[in-house]
Amino acid sequence: MKCINCQYEDESKNFRYLYNARIDSSISMRQCPKCLSTIAVDELTFEVQQVVGPGEAPWGKSAGVESLADDYQKAA
Amino acid sequence: MSEPQKKTVDIEEMVNRQEWWWVAEKKRSKRLDYLRKAVWKKGALGGNYAPGIKVDMEYPVLFTDMWRFWKFDTAIMRRAKAIAHVLDNISIFITDKAQLVGYMGSKPHTILWRVDGASIVNEELYNEPGIHEDPEAESLEKVAEINAYWAGQTAVDKVARVLDPEDAVKFLSGAIGWGAPTSAYGYSGKDYEYYMTGKRAFEAIIDEIDKNIEDAENKTIGVPGPDIIPYYDKIQNWEAMKLVLEACIRYANRYARLARIVARHFETDEDRKVDLEKIAQTCEQVPARPPRNLHESLQYDLFIQILARFEAHEGAWPARPDYYHGPYYDNDVNVEKIITRDEAIDLIGEFMIRAYEVGGFAPRWAREGLQGITGTWVWTLGGVKPDGSDACNDMTVAMLQAARLVRVANPTFGFRWHPRVSDEVMREIFECIRQGLGYPSMRNDPILIANAMHWHGHPIEEARLWLHQACMSPCPPTKNGFQPMRMASATANCAKIIEYALHNGYDYVVNMQMGPKSGDPTTFENFEDFFGAWVQQMEWLFSTLVRTVNLARSKDPEFFGRPFLSGISERAVESGLDAVSPEGDRGNCWITAFTWVENIDSLAAVKKLIYDDKKYSMAQLIDALQNNWEGHERMRLDFVRNAPKWGNDDDYVDDIMLRCLREAARFSKVIKCPSGNNWPILPENVSANIHYANIVGALPNGRRLGDALYDGGVSPGPGLDKKGPTAVLKSCAKIDHITDGRAFLLNQRLSPTQAAGEKGYQLWKAYIKTWADLGIDHVQFNIVSDKTLRAAQKDPEDYSEVIVRVAGYSAHFVDISRKTQDNIIQRTVQGF
Repeated sequence: MKCINCQYEDESKNFRYLYNARIDSSISMRQCPKCLSTIAVDELTFEVQQVVGPGEAPWGKSAGVESLADDYQKAA
Repeated sequence: MSEPQKKTVDIEEMVNRQEWWWVAEKKRSKRLDYLRKAVWKKGALGGNYAPGIKVDMEYPVLFTDMWRFWKFDTAIMRRAKAIAHVLDNISIFITDKAQLVGYMGSKPHTILWRVDGASIVNEELYNEPGIHEDPEAESLEKVAEINAYWAGQTAVDKVARVLDPEDAVKFLSGAIGWGAPTSAYGYSGKDYEYYMTGKRAFEAIIDEIDKNIEDAENKTIGVPGPDIIPYYDKIQNWEAMKLVLEACIRYANRYARLARIVARHFETDEDRKVDLEKIAQTCEQVPARPPRNLHESLQYDLFIQILARFEAHEGAWPARPDYYHGPYYDNDVNVEKIITRDEAIDLIGEFMIRAYEVGGFAPRWAREGLQGITGTWVWTLGGVKPDGSDACNDMTVAMLQAARLVRVANPTFGFRWHPRVSDEVMREIFECIRQGLGYPSMRNDPILIANAMHWHGHPIEEARLWLHQACMSPCPPTKNGFQPMRMASATANCAKIIEYALHNGYDYVVNMQMGPKSGDPTTFENFEDFFGAWVQQMEWLFSTLVRTVNLARSKDPEFFGRPFLSGISERAVESGLDAVSPEGDRGNCWITAFTWVENIDSLAAVKKLIYDDKKYSMAQLIDALQNNWEGHERMRLDFVRNAPKWGNDDDYVDDIMLRCLREAARFSKVIKCPSGNNWPILPENVSANIHYANIVGALPNGRRLGDALYDGGVSPGPGLDKKGPTAVLKSCAKIDHITDGRAFLLNQRLSPTQAAGEKGYQLWKAYIKTWADLGIDHVQFNIVSDKTLRAAQKDPEDYSEVIVRVAGYSAHFVDISRKTQDNIIQRTVQGF
């Protein structure tokens, strides 16, 4: 696994597992042991998808009728 | 454009943008605005106290000094004298612009330390960074000295010595439950019907006690025999009650004196002088004599809650303010017109702020489990009177309006809905929910009254008086109905039931054999065998936790008697027994079932994929779980996506829910409290789903060690309820909310867009009608958009007043951890 923030590369088990982004998705939050960034990882491929900053939601929209809310409509 | 018009336009814009916290700031009076902003927030931010919050050192020193001094007295008299010494000597203050007084610390930014509760908590306090007054080294020295004195003689130390050692070790592992088996900490019910109906206050109670002492003393000088022996202890108890009640009156009089001194010698503002004189008159009246008006009634209630916290760490604030203060409101505002409606709302708003201010030191597990607040102040509104008629009144509406103005996260409200609630009240409730308070929660009154009668045998007139003892559980505030202390140690981390069924009772997180050896699941032939292991673990877990509470309830008249609580409880004043004695208590116990639904989804996944479809073997599953699903992602997703999930009106999994609940309900009648009554379960979570994230191992529902658990009660897993709100309600409606358990928490998240305008109200009202018709006992709502919540994560300082419903309580969004925040954002947004 390779951190896209600091390019540190190591076995996936050394990137501390934090918690899932959503239980029915393969995306989880892990922590880079070098730069300590919270990163979103696809657990199927171990590809790092993004560095997760405040207010960012790697799982995308919440489940449900999100298209009914104005912010969701804008996002769509 | 004139200034008032500009203000109106500003508010309209804020309403359109749903920035309700700025709307509140504009709408509330200057006094209320000042008081709201001047309050020190005591709830933990995530698990840490906010900067500036310090442990109060006056209380522990005063209390300990006097406890030491009276070392030859009985325990109850020592406690009474120590409390009285605190009340006579602790520094008091009056907040600028305040009309209500009383705080459990010597300064507004301090939190009370319950020195005689638990050595383990005392040690934690010593080690907690940032909370000791400067100079820190001096404070720590004092703390260490106090800790050394109390080590071995706190309430928990005493009960730990008589607990079964194996039970004690398992309980203290922190894996299976939380709380402490003692009356020093927990959720203390109150006998409102005794002291809050205007018939009597402390002077009258002292007269009753005097008469009882006199009668008892006449007996103890009479004919010797076994019947007079109990009176020696009873006299001690009565003397202790009297001593504390007299000290309470003196404590109130100290405020009266302080108010007059400030008014006469320091205050220059004439209006404020009038305020201070009114405070003085109020504190001379209550708690000595019954209140005469709304101001005195609120002050009386506040004093009692503060005074109770000088005696024990009360983690809940059971109250029914519209019912007990409503008659005073009606008289003052509508009949005698002593105050205006706006002035009444100012008083009510301030009452809420004073409650928000209250805080005591809590160990880290409690702070993590109740992020953002200091306890579950869930105040009860609405409901019915003992004759079954509607209890809502003008104060109900005023409370709901005041809540929107002050926007505190604690207290919150639970509303007792019944078919005769007026449209006016329903609109006020909806306005609170729409404005993002997360409260009131909606409680189904007819169901819960029947439930109270079913489980604990409360007579209907008493059951109809019920109020929330903590987040969820109804309790009548009556002589034999109120529970003096619901110890939080009957709180079960239920996800461990399925975890132990999978691992033969072994806990791989704390590395010890916890539950019974219910069998190696790889040898089970069918689901029935596996379910049998689940039942065995469930019975073991509930028994272990309940044993600790039963023992403590039986021993606490000796270990942690409560002279103040006894003095405001009819059965204690009448009998001479301490209030915490189980004798005379009808019993209103419940097991809080944290992390319950994980069992249901996990059992369904095992049944479907292991036993029905035979897609995987049990050995494969256990291997994946022991590796925390690492390297088994496809299999994990299969267990999440291709096994039925609770909350989708799917009988396959819903039947498992019913089966589990009915096994628990059956066992709830096997295990008994010291009063001989039942121990029903009550599924809910507060924020324990985050606290236990690193304590519960991987499960067949697809969660890993570290993932937040579901948000609790009977709420479906976040994002797993895919068939809409009606399907959620239909799943929940399969539960018998009277006989299957004590109550069932249901979180629902709604779209803010759909909640807008009259249409939004009508949709919500129709939803509530369906919910009520289906016989579901609870539902609570979050109506805050993802956009707002994500913005609050990014710029917390701009969104410091955004409130969310966590589970059973509300919190300011910025005060909860990122993980809890994400868990709330992940919840399914339901559309009507």
